[in-house]
Amino acid sequence: MSRNLVELTGRGHSRGAPTALEVLKEAVERSGALSDEDRRRAAAASGLPEATVYGISTFYEDLLRPRGRRHVRVCTGTACFAATGGRHVAELEQALGVRLGERSADGACSLAETVCLGLCHSSPAFREGEIVDAGEGAIGRIAGAGAREAAEPEWRSVLPEPVLTRRGDWSGLGHALSSLTPEQLLEEVTAAELRGRGGAGFPAGRKWGFTRAAAGGRKFIVANGDEGDPGSYIDKYLLERSPELVLEGMALAGYAVGASHGVVLVRSEYPRARGILERAVADARRRGWLGPDVRASGFDFDVSILEGAGSYVVGEETALLACIEGLRGTVSARPPFPAVRGLYGMPTVVNNVETLANVPFIARHGAEAYRDLSPGATPGTKLVCFNERFAKPGVWEVRFGTSMRELCEGLAGGIADGHSLKALQIGGPLGGILPAGLLDTPFDFDELAARGCMVGHGGIVAFDERTDMRAVARHLLRFGADESCGKCFPCRIGLRRAEEMFAADAVVDRLRLEELLETLELGSLCAHGGGMPAPIRSLLAHFPNELGLG
Amino acid sequence: MRVSVDGSDVEVPAEATVLEAIHAAGRTVPTLCFDERQAPFGACRVCLVGVAGAPGPQPACTTPCRADIEIDTTDAVARRVAAAVVELVLSELPDPPAVHTELARVARELGVWGREPRWRGAVRERRQDLRHPYLALRHELCISCGRCVRACDEIQGAFALTATGRGFEAGIAVGMDVGFRESSCVSCGACADTCPTDAITEPGLLELLA
Repeated sequence: MSRNLVELTGRGHSRGAPTALEVLKEAVERSGALSDEDRRRAAAASGLPEATVYGISTFYEDLLRPRGRRHVRVCTGTACFAATGGRHVAELEQALGVRLGERSADGACSLAETVCLGLCHSSPAFREGEIVDAGEGAIGRIAGAGAREAAEPEWRSVLPEPVLTRRGDWSGLGHALSSLTPEQLLEEVTAAELRGRGGAGFPAGRKWGFTRAAAGGRKFIVANGDEGDPGSYIDKYLLERSPELVLEGMALAGYAVGASHGVVLVRSEYPRARGILERAVADARRRGWLGPDVRASGFDFDVSILEGAGSYVVGEETALLACIEGLRGTVSARPPFPAVRGLYGMPTVVNNVETLANVPFIARHGAEAYRDLSPGATPGTKLVCFNERFAKPGVWEVRFGTSMRELCEGLAGGIADGHSLKALQIGGPLGGILPAGLLDTPFDFDELAARGCMVGHGGIVAFDERTDMRAVARHLLRFGADESCGKCFPCRIGLRRAEEMFAADAVVDRLRLEELLETLELGSLCAHGGGMPAPIRSLLAHFPNELGLG
Repeated sequence: MRVSVDGSDVEVPAEATVLEAIHAAGRTVPTLCFDERQAPFGACRVCLVGVAGAPGPQPACTTPCRADIEIDTTDAVARRVAAAVVELVLSELPDPPAVHTELARVARELGVWGREPRWRGAVRERRQDLRHPYLALRHELCISCGRCVRACDEIQGAFALTATGRGFEAGIAVGMDVGFRESSCVSCGACADTCPTDAITEPGLLELLA
């Protein structure tokens, strides 16, 4: 990202100015579409050049679609695809009399696509205003009396004393402030071998160590709450049911690396999460767990909450920081890593919210107790979530090393309504696809990697025996191409070409496809272009006869 | 520190990039989004090279050197991926770029110039801004390398240009997409000077030279 623009956003932040993106979001929510006058106001308020603001206004999904007096959004995530094959989109278009991405001539109603609303346990999902409706009868309600808030299943843990599926009580921070030096806390987190839960699995202790060692008086902790993976609603549960645990993890990270300010970026597709987090922050301030001189320890730490604007790639850490700065959410080449040069150019820890939610346990009970949670496997526990195709969908806290069969048949009750499992996509859209025949694979980093799959963020999407795997390829590649940030050439052009290869009835030239997958894997700047080939390779390996290869 | 480029040792400063080491060794590797006057960007992936011990090809422009790094500008996988990328770039243009452009030169170096196009699909929309006395913009020739935007930001400081859109639709705009004449452009020509495809040109100057 341009150093000049980052410098300008840093100045805006210092004087308490809103970001350009915040002004643009507010304008679109107020008047339904952006005008040049809105862009000029955003430029003046944020201190950014007008051209820069124009570029920002053309990047984010939330700013692009015109809004009617009623603005309805339909989820086109992978769980909704697995539930209907995509038919719910056309059904809603017909019920509302409005085409996707358009606004009715009289301005009464508009319909836009969104990925993903995190109601994957009750697909298909829809949103009207702040209300998310899903499942049986939702289309009828939206076309008729109006949407109603969908129910969400309770989350559960296989542990008698859950690490993650619990309300935070700040005891980890209390213990650290009274009994551990920052160095000792960093040592515990490193010894616990906590790996990032956002997808890449990078050791959190090492990341923190880089930021702690980086020069600079001001450092930041950023909680990545941009859970964009279609089919995943783990961070939604964490942010909405246990915001204290995430905030406590951030404060602990701040204590360990010497940062006094944290930012949570929560995605706009989870309309409830922001308010819940803001209330949790206010409550923590009242109780003295956030703010200056936390519990008379001399440690200062406070948190602000920001909302995204509809971009999958903003989950990548450099793009996430650009979004927080209010700039275009494009990926930057690393190095420099955010740990050294991050938010507003300052050393920054960027951790997924689930990663941070593990830290209070480590601070309170130590690295050894943490490593003992999953004997003989990756330390700690993992949240996984199951889609609507399962008999008992929901979020579960599980031990690493548990077999996929135990997860899918034991916890999630197998496939619903007498259907059978065809394949799973694990860990998000960049995760490989595991055919039902490999269900005895253990759920862990190395074991899944050996089968071309990954833990990723822990979303488990089942496809039943009726699923057309060529349509799965088309669904995934369309998502990949739509969400490419457009910076690096292989991803920008290559994903569009891959999507085109699977269009309509075209015969797919296998050699050319494999050449393109190599270009994406080895050439792309970030894990988006680099990772999209993984599920396509799985489909080539396990379902070649369904892909229309030539 | 000492590094190795294509088997020859060369001394480079501690903060040198792989691309700087390649140039210091008197070697070259094709680039598209790189301009030595600008901070490395890492978008085009055409400068991919082999690095001993790395899991795959590495972009030379944004990869820092370390002591004793072994760089191979002839690495077959890196060249194959770079050539495939440039073939993809050519496929997004409705017409081939002019022969004298940097893009055409890079395509020739990578052996993909003049080939029968294998990718037939969406191409860039034809749209032109020819109203400025010195600067012309042909959006259909833009490959979103970001060099013009960075020239306006890092060299001129006018901030008259921006990247727009995302994914395949990524492009550029002048001001709030008003064209050169109505924007804060100061007509310095830095964007046209760096453009590798003639998407931005200085037609007035060309006429004078002719």
